[in-house]
Amino acid sequence: MDLLRSIGIAASGLKAESGRMRVISENLANADSTAKTVGGDPYRRKIVTFDSQLDPDLDARTVSLGRIQRDSTAFKLEYDPGNPIADAKGYVKMPNVNPLVEQMDMREAQHAYEANLNVISAARRMISRTLDILKG
Amino acid sequence: MTAAAIAANAYTAAARKYGAGAAPGLAPPGGELKPDQSFGNLLAQAMDGVSQTGKAADAATASATTGRTDMIDVVTAVAESETAMQTLISVRDRVISAYEEIMRMTI
Repeated sequence: MDLLRSIGIAASGLKAESGRMRVISENLANADSTAKTVGGDPYRRKIVTFDSQLDPDLDARTVSLGRIQRDSTAFKLEYDPGNPIADAKGYVKMPNVNPLVEQMDMREAQHAYEANLNVISAARRMISRTLDILKG
Repeated sequence: MTAAAIAANAYTAAARKYGAGAAPGLAPPGGELKPDQSFGNLLAQAMDGVSQTGKAADAATASATTGRTDMIDVVTAVAESETAMQTLISVRDRVISAYEEIMRMTI
């Protein structure tokens, strides 16, 4: 049934968005994770990608989390001469995570998740309203 | 979800009764009723489908409690089995009320 299939498709959206949420939380949690050794690289921001593929069971295109890419923008340099991993000039490499950008990404993931939830509840409502005809 | 299994068994029993009752001289005016088209078989097939989705929902719930499945899978499996169940229940209620109406008929 098409309505049940749309529930399945929306469920794939829910899974993809929860994966995106996981990556965002990783980025936010590691916003201050510096390198362990002098000259090493700190945490590099992760970026989610979404893949669309044909689901043979549903016979429809569902979404799934694609490869997780790394953000190639430069690391921020922070002047902190007292830090044990600071370089000769006293700078410490900080992760290229901008908490504000992550907040916005999170809001986007939240809205997309809710949109998929709405699809599921609308499809369920349509099914049960149709069944109500028999009950009447 | 054991309730679904109990209901499924009850329906299969009902379907069997329907199948047995239809067999002796209750041929429709249009011609012979083929055995695979009887209402009993139809109900039995529907039952099969419902108990299958019920089993899938059961499996999803069981593996979710042990932390092996996504909560989303559980929700969709349970929703699907619930829909299948409700469809069958509505059809059954409809059929039974039609049957009762016939039984109330004064001859």
